[in-house]
Amino acid sequence: MKQIKKGNIIIEPFYLEQVNPNSYNYRINDQLIMFDIKNNKKHKKTIKIPKEGIILEPHKTYLASTFETLGSIKYAMSLIGRSSLGRLGLFLQVSANLGHTGSIHKWTLELVATKKIKIYPFMIIGQISFWENKGNISSYLEGYSKFNLPQVSKMEEIQ
Amino acid sequence: MILTGNEIIKQVNEGKIIIKPFNDKQITTNTYDLTLGDKYLTYNEDILDPAKPNSYEIKSIPKEGLQLKQGDFILAHSNEIIGSKYFVPIIHAKSSVARLGLFIHVTADLIDIGSIGNITFQLYATLPVKIYPNMLIGQVSFWVPKGKIELYNGKYQGSLGPRASEVHKDFKEKLKI
Repeated sequence: MKQIKKGNIIIEPFYLEQVNPNSYNYRINDQLIMFDIKNNKKHKKTIKIPKEGIILEPHKTYLASTFETLGSIKYAMSLIGRSSLGRLGLFLQVSANLGHTGSIHKWTLELVATKKIKIYPFMIIGQISFWENKGNISSYLEGYSKFNLPQVSKMEEIQ
Repeated sequence: MILTGNEIIKQVNEGKIIIKPFNDKQITTNTYDLTLGDKYLTYNEDILDPAKPNSYEIKSIPKEGLQLKQGDFILAHSNEIIGSKYFVPIIHAKSSVARLGLFIHVTADLIDIGSIGNITFQLYATLPVKIYPNMLIGQVSFWVPKGKIELYNGKYQGSLGPRASEVHKDFKEKLKI
């Protein structure tokens, strides 16, 4: 909270009741990217999550984004899911949970369910923690940090 | 900053880290190894819904072991009571367990400062794997926080055994735009 006032941490919009002892609870936005796999090829589909929620199928990967603009020019970040959703078997971020110092945007979230689970637009889905850097900071200005909508991987072209 | 194994022992002796029961042999370079308790929890619902309580049952892991199928998801727990009002615990699998394709947590590895209890493991098997009570399954590291400490006082405080998700309790918090 202190670092937000100083401008070192950006959380927009910010609500006091979403602060935890060591993290901030963020929400999911209402856009979801899903992939149909046919003949081992991916076909991308973007949908709006309806108010009544949408059921995620197990063992499939979905992309979404945070509702909040989150970032820091001073700290490195870790974006993880809430334990309450982990307890329902929902992975949030598939192995790359480190947020680079200097990226400030609506983060792309990778969702993988282990059991069928319903998700709702704007529900609290994860938490972000901030980590002090040791060493000189050169800000991360490239890559995915200019995007505010869920971004698919740039490593390959998708149809 | 992360604590070394030697520092974890020191902080346990000074009462600033709680690990019960504590056994020197489970200290590693930067962590303390956690063992698997004998209770586990499975949900009975076809579709899990965070807006409602989801029905579940608690069972025992037999001495002869419990066979998990590929894709199985269950909640289990540590034998140890873990926590600290001074450091932030983060849980990890033992790499030997991860090498068997078994996740021990799904996404939420950060334990709130001030939360003291059994760790609920979120076990997800990507390959068929057998688990046994008291096996070494995970490890916990401790990190130095920066800023004024506000202790955890949430719904999972003082957990004993596996604790199901209680996300429905705060699901009603409406978004103010």
